[in-house]
Amino acid sequence: MVSSFWRDVVGVGLFALAHAAFSAAQHRSYMRLTEKENETLPIDIVLQTLLAFVLTIYGIVHISGEFKDMDASSELKNKTFDTLRNHPSFYMFNHRGRVLFCSPNREVSNIPNAEALRNPLRLRKLKHLH
Amino acid sequence: MASVSEMYDVTWEEMRDKLRKWREDNHRNSEQIVDVGEELINEHASKLGDDIWIIYEQVMIAALDCSRDDLAWTCLQELKRQFPGSQRVKRLAGMRLEALEKYEDASKQYDSILQDDPTNTAARKRKISILKAQGKSAEAIRELNEYLEQFVGDQEAWHELSELYINEHDCLGDLGVREAAVFHGGVCVCVCKQHTGSVVTLAGGQCLQECLARYGKAAFCLEELMMTNPHNHLYCEQYAEVKYTQGGLENLELSRKYFAQALKLNNRNMRALFGLYMSASHIAASPKVNATVKKANVKYATWATNQINRAYQLAGRGTKENKCSVKAVEEMLESITMS
Repeated sequence: MVSSFWRDVVGVGLFALAHAAFSAAQHRSYMRLTEKENETLPIDIVLQTLLAFVLTIYGIVHISGEFKDMDASSELKNKTFDTLRNHPSFYMFNHRGRVLFCSPNREVSNIPNAEALRNPLRLRKLKHLH
Repeated sequence: MASVSEMYDVTWEEMRDKLRKWREDNHRNSEQIVDVGEELINEHASKLGDDIWIIYEQVMIAALDCSRDDLAWTCLQELKRQFPGSQRVKRLAGMRLEALEKYEDASKQYDSILQDDPTNTAARKRKISILKAQGKSAEAIRELNEYLEQFVGDQEAWHELSELYINEHDCLGDLGVREAAVFHGGVCVCVCKQHTGSVVTLAGGQCLQECLARYGKAAFCLEELMMTNPHNHLYCEQYAEVKYTQGGLENLELSRKYFAQALKLNNRNMRALFGLYMSASHIAASPKVNATVKKANVKYATWATNQINRAYQLAGRGTKENKCSVKAVEEMLESITMS
């Protein structure tokens, strides 16, 4: 969750940047009016630009969330076969969970097999699948 | 019954984030998903915004696993109401029919999706799952091969195919039998349903070849996966295990190399460490190798033993059971040392 402090920091930085840009433009037009075109930008505007830039970047880095490791294999260090083996597009549902989690007091639902309702934990006869 | 948020003292945002993590990592902890998801749906539906639809989908699939057909039906109705005529919702309806074992109706549902959109991969994969659920694994393999000819980049499908091949052993191909055939180079005793249903003694092991061909195909699928994910240590390790199961000196050497590769990618992979130990010991114990190879492999096996012992000591430090478990590991390693 982004804390609003860093968002404010980015806001302040951007505002300072805009302010410095505006001041630089004003300074330019002032130079043109007074025909002193060789004077460089005053140092405070330059400093304000650079500082605002650094501040904005620092704030954005904090907003943008967790950094990932550059090493591609380090992300996988904690992965196990438990999750790798699961293929959601190929999930099958004919496992014992259908019988294990069946509550005995449930009302008649869409399951057509009446045997399962009467005594759900009794093992159904295993159908020979081949 | 206390709700999840009371029992574990979590907020609804944490529950939602947890569900997202489980969804992204493909966890199949359906009971937990149903508990957490049901509470989110019932109590916090308004706060979730658009996230709720994907949560409905996730909870529905988990509910089918836990035989909670009422919950699955509710989720499906909500999704149908929000997204009428959507292929994804039709697929979920088909999955519900599959869970109720109405395979023909489910198949018709998927066929109708494919009529509207012949490139829909999800419906094709569900049809393959129906074949798998009915036990027709040979047909499932054939269909999956055809699917992969068209959609070569589908990694989930490659991994599924490799698992189908690995589980497709009608004839017994377990390690003890293959050891006998490979290392004593002669008679293979095989209990084979395909042949007579009783113990059959074969010279040279013809039915052995059929078992091994399937492992070879599984290895091919895993090679495809390793090519596209070279940094994934688990694929390396699974490939090494399949090669180890195939047996034979070249396969054992290959398996040792891939176990080593898996360790290079992730030095905390204990299975790969054990695999390295086993394959190196096997090569060292084989009568066909010369002395230098034997010495090298004994060195690898000893290194692996030390690493295993160290890992167990480090893992258990500070606990009372440490001494017992370390001793147990040492004894086990000695007992599986090949003579």
